[in-house]
Amino acid sequence: MNEKGYAHPEAVVTTAWVADHLNDPNVRIVESDEDVLLYEQGHIPGAVKIDWVGDLNDRVRRDYLSRADFERLMSEKGISNDTTVVFYGDKNNWWACYAFWVFQLFGHTNAKVMDGGRQKWLEEGRPLTREVPSYPRTTYRAPERADYKIRAFRDQVMQHVLNRQPLVDVRSPAEYTGELIHMENYPQEGALRGGHIPGAKNIPWGRAVNPDGTFKTAEELRAIYEQEQGLSPDQNIIAYCRIGERSSHTWFVLTYLLGYPSVRNYDGSWTEWGNLVGAPIEKP
Amino acid sequence: MDRQEQLEFILDHYENPRNRGPLASPDIVMKGGNPGCGDIVTLYVRLGGDERISQITFEGEGCTISQAAASMLTELALGKSLAEVEAMNAADFVEALGREIVINRLRCATLALNTLKAAEKKYRAGQQARSAAEAAVENF
Repeated sequence: MNEKGYAHPEAVVTTAWVADHLNDPNVRIVESDEDVLLYEQGHIPGAVKIDWVGDLNDRVRRDYLSRADFERLMSEKGISNDTTVVFYGDKNNWWACYAFWVFQLFGHTNAKVMDGGRQKWLEEGRPLTREVPSYPRTTYRAPERADYKIRAFRDQVMQHVLNRQPLVDVRSPAEYTGELIHMENYPQEGALRGGHIPGAKNIPWGRAVNPDGTFKTAEELRAIYEQEQGLSPDQNIIAYCRIGERSSHTWFVLTYLLGYPSVRNYDGSWTEWGNLVGAPIEKP
Repeated sequence: MDRQEQLEFILDHYENPRNRGPLASPDIVMKGGNPGCGDIVTLYVRLGGDERISQITFEGEGCTISQAAASMLTELALGKSLAEVEAMNAADFVEALGREIVINRLRCATLALNTLKAAEKKYRAGQQARSAAEAAVENF
């Protein structure tokens, strides 16, 4: 990945790298998808499945799993504290980046994203299997979830607005303007109001990827986020979308590909802000 | 069915959908959606003389579960009366689909069923409107 000029090239691996590490006991490949049964239709040999609903979310509250549940999940998937975890998935790695982000809440820094995701693996004709692997359980020790580092809550977002600090709305332009409250061609439900958080710049997540789903080079990304949109690494940035998956993608791009040290994902996103009584909204 | 058989059942419906495609001259067309996965299902229903479903097809896009469930629904609903459609139970439908498999995507699993129930209500509402219009003409 060095040729792409990323600030943290170690956070991204190619499909070829993954193919070369299918039997590496220190590597665990994790598929995370929007479509919960894609894994069952065929996955990278040796990959385990982690579902954002069933595995990463709290079953009752709108929140993430607890430290104890994360430790249990890691143990079940055969992941140790020193295992290199490689994420991939559908939808241009939205949920792979989301899972990567949740892993960072628990400090599992030895993690990578497979560039191009499931789509690229398939397009290259690489092997899939329906065989579900079984790994010995591990003893995993996680710290308490560190929400303050890379996760933003609505009160913090409100303060961010008041302080005129940069917000990045990664949704489509029509969602940003309030013409739609969900992605195009998706049913228009989920929030009572349309528009965007005051002051947010609209930089759709998809601008960071090539047609084959791979990330653009650092130079191309800087041209978009810095030269065109005026962001810079010294800023404290919050990204959001509808429920936090597309913005995890942009969070990953800014943090690992461009090396911005202070980027947070507002996972409450528009489903929270667009339903929040009295919250300020910009709508042209 | 055990879990694996249930999984194979769902994947078979997804990979080999039954009754997929539009239907000419339907009595009811109903579109439903689920924002969680971006699932969309459109049902086309034709009724026989006794208000039983004589033909039912679907079109749609979205996740495996939503589309497999729509396929399964068309098989289950064929021949049912509208009253029987109204009485169809979401819990039973999810059970038939494979509760353990779809538990984390219940909205996807029930999208087609809820769309059919909405179709039944739409048809009833249309009937009532037609009856009211006919009564108004007779009383004029």
